[in-house]
Amino acid sequence: MASASGSHPHVGPTQCVGPDYRSESQKPIATVSTEVKYETVTTLPQTPQLIALLTKIRDKNTERADFIFYSNRIIRLLVEEGLNHLPVVEHTVTTPVGRNYAGLMFQGKICGVSIMRAGEAMEQGLRDCCRSVRIGKILIQRDEETSQPKLFYDKLPEDIADRWVLLLDPMFATGGSAIMAVEVLKSRGVPEERILFLNLIASPEGIANFATKFPRLRVVTAFVDQGLDSKNYIVPGLGDFGDRFYTM
Amino acid sequence: MDTAIHSLPAKAVDKSAATMTKRAHYSPPWADLSIIGIAGSSGSGKSTLSQAIDSYYKPLDPESSRKAFLNEYDFDSPDAIDFDALLETLRDLKAGKRAEVPIYSFEKHQRMEETTIIYSPHVLILEGIFALYDPRVMGLMDMRYVVPQRNEADIIVPRGIENRVAMTMVTQYIERKLLEKSTHHRAALKSLEAGFESEPLSKRVTILKETPQLKGMNTLIQDLDTSSEDFIFYFDRLSCLLIEQALNNVHFKALTVETTSGVPYHGLAPKGEVSAVLVLRGGAAFEAGLRRVIPDCRTGRLLIQNNLRTGEPELHYLKLPKDISKHESVLLLDSQMSSGGSGLMAVQVLVDHGVPQDRIVFATYSAGRVGLHRLTKVFPDIAVVVGNMVSDMEERWVENRYFRC
Repeated sequence: MASASGSHPHVGPTQCVGPDYRSESQKPIATVSTEVKYETVTTLPQTPQLIALLTKIRDKNTERADFIFYSNRIIRLLVEEGLNHLPVVEHTVTTPVGRNYAGLMFQGKICGVSIMRAGEAMEQGLRDCCRSVRIGKILIQRDEETSQPKLFYDKLPEDIADRWVLLLDPMFATGGSAIMAVEVLKSRGVPEERILFLNLIASPEGIANFATKFPRLRVVTAFVDQGLDSKNYIVPGLGDFGDRFYTM
Repeated sequence: MDTAIHSLPAKAVDKSAATMTKRAHYSPPWADLSIIGIAGSSGSGKSTLSQAIDSYYKPLDPESSRKAFLNEYDFDSPDAIDFDALLETLRDLKAGKRAEVPIYSFEKHQRMEETTIIYSPHVLILEGIFALYDPRVMGLMDMRYVVPQRNEADIIVPRGIENRVAMTMVTQYIERKLLEKSTHHRAALKSLEAGFESEPLSKRVTILKETPQLKGMNTLIQDLDTSSEDFIFYFDRLSCLLIEQALNNVHFKALTVETTSGVPYHGLAPKGEVSAVLVLRGGAAFEAGLRRVIPDCRTGRLLIQNNLRTGEPELHYLKLPKDISKHESVLLLDSQMSSGGSGLMAVQVLVDHGVPQDRIVFATYSAGRVGLHRLTKVFPDIAVVVGNMVSDMEERWVENRYFRC
């Protein structure tokens, strides 16, 4: 995967961030998500609150407890956005004050699938929004010899072919493991268009890879960073998510 | 006990019928405080008319304090009363502001270090031997009584406690005043809605985007047949989103942090502390959502209840963080807003406590247009976040469902 290089390889777009009713001068300037052109990719609205949460988890001096807390808040927002892509049907109800509300009812069964280990860090956020959701797991590690991702383990709901799948992995760099995970899901009969890949920070390269390979699969991300470094890490990124969440 | 302030619980309202300029005016019921002075010498029966709370004796120096213990100090002398402090307090209260009142210890015969806060009385009784001594203080009074005699009084109660007729007159006067205030307050609230229906909502009002999930949650929350378990789960989930959205209205500053990759990130951080104030009982339904977003959020509370008979909102209880005026932002949370009456009162309370309007973010699960118009016309610089737009004047039901009683 080509790493982003050039005169200013890692400086993303900046803009004034804040509510519309404030003038530009009242809004602080921050780096925002790099734009991507694929219809299947949804980036969370670049609100000041989201930028502040991302700032917190990107800061290498943020302690583990805070890292976990602020990541969880972003993950909940990702899940809330991801769920918007699931089917609904019209459903009118009577409210406690006796008026009718022309609402919606959720349709379709879902499950989560986390790519171990970092993806498991997103399970709590998923459960906060969907109680007792089924969660499958896939373990993919880089093969030392070929340096290619290799499937080590998977445990998925038996009826996964009938479900919508929320695929969880916080950092979407080249997308090597995620591509393998999607292949596993497809081999179990899950159609591409019923997979939603949720991640916190993505790279334009990873997104482009996915869009080519899986043109109907939806990606929901909080932020698209500027690019990858020579080791294929996202920059500026936030380091190794699993390490920061679990062991550091 | 001598000069004392006795405040009656909030029960009534406003003098100035709101003037309809571009920025509408709301006058809370306590903005036109009625002060009743009751004077008379010790043992004449004034205390029976009112309950003494605080006193205005000047702090005694050690020598005077010693004398007082020996009963040598003349508490019946006007020199012992700090009329300047009293006047300042009465003026603040008359203007609808909060006032700090010194506490006088009769055991120690001196003013204590601590003060007590008086805020939002509708009628205040100033009772004491010298309540009618200082002409400046007297000028602030609506009614003056003397037990048993003196020239400056509107009513002289000849035999103090014995005189049932005088007692009844005082009580009736207070009741009439309270009713008058209540009528004015309700009329003022009503007049605030005129002509707002056609105008677009203020730009500072954000209504949560009606995504399929939000609408689905709104369906479950509003469905009478949803189980309590589900209701609470989905309300907590939605309140979390509402608070996340409310926080987009607080003030941020640019902050550059270093990432592990060594490349800096130019991000943001909140400018300062964000605290919350719950408008009870409904606002307490947001507590779970609030803790998920800001676990250690300092949280004040105020209890506003609509009078069952008149429908007028009344402030019953208030506990705010002491330094609330210095907080960068204050989230004001209530589950529902119908007429906007309690919302107006709640914002007014924060403003009276020194919180600038543009630091207040009012968030509510549901609201109607009239209520939102009233609130934003009176307080155009506050931000408002609404989860679900409903028809006007919807009665409260969320808190009953959430707390299951």
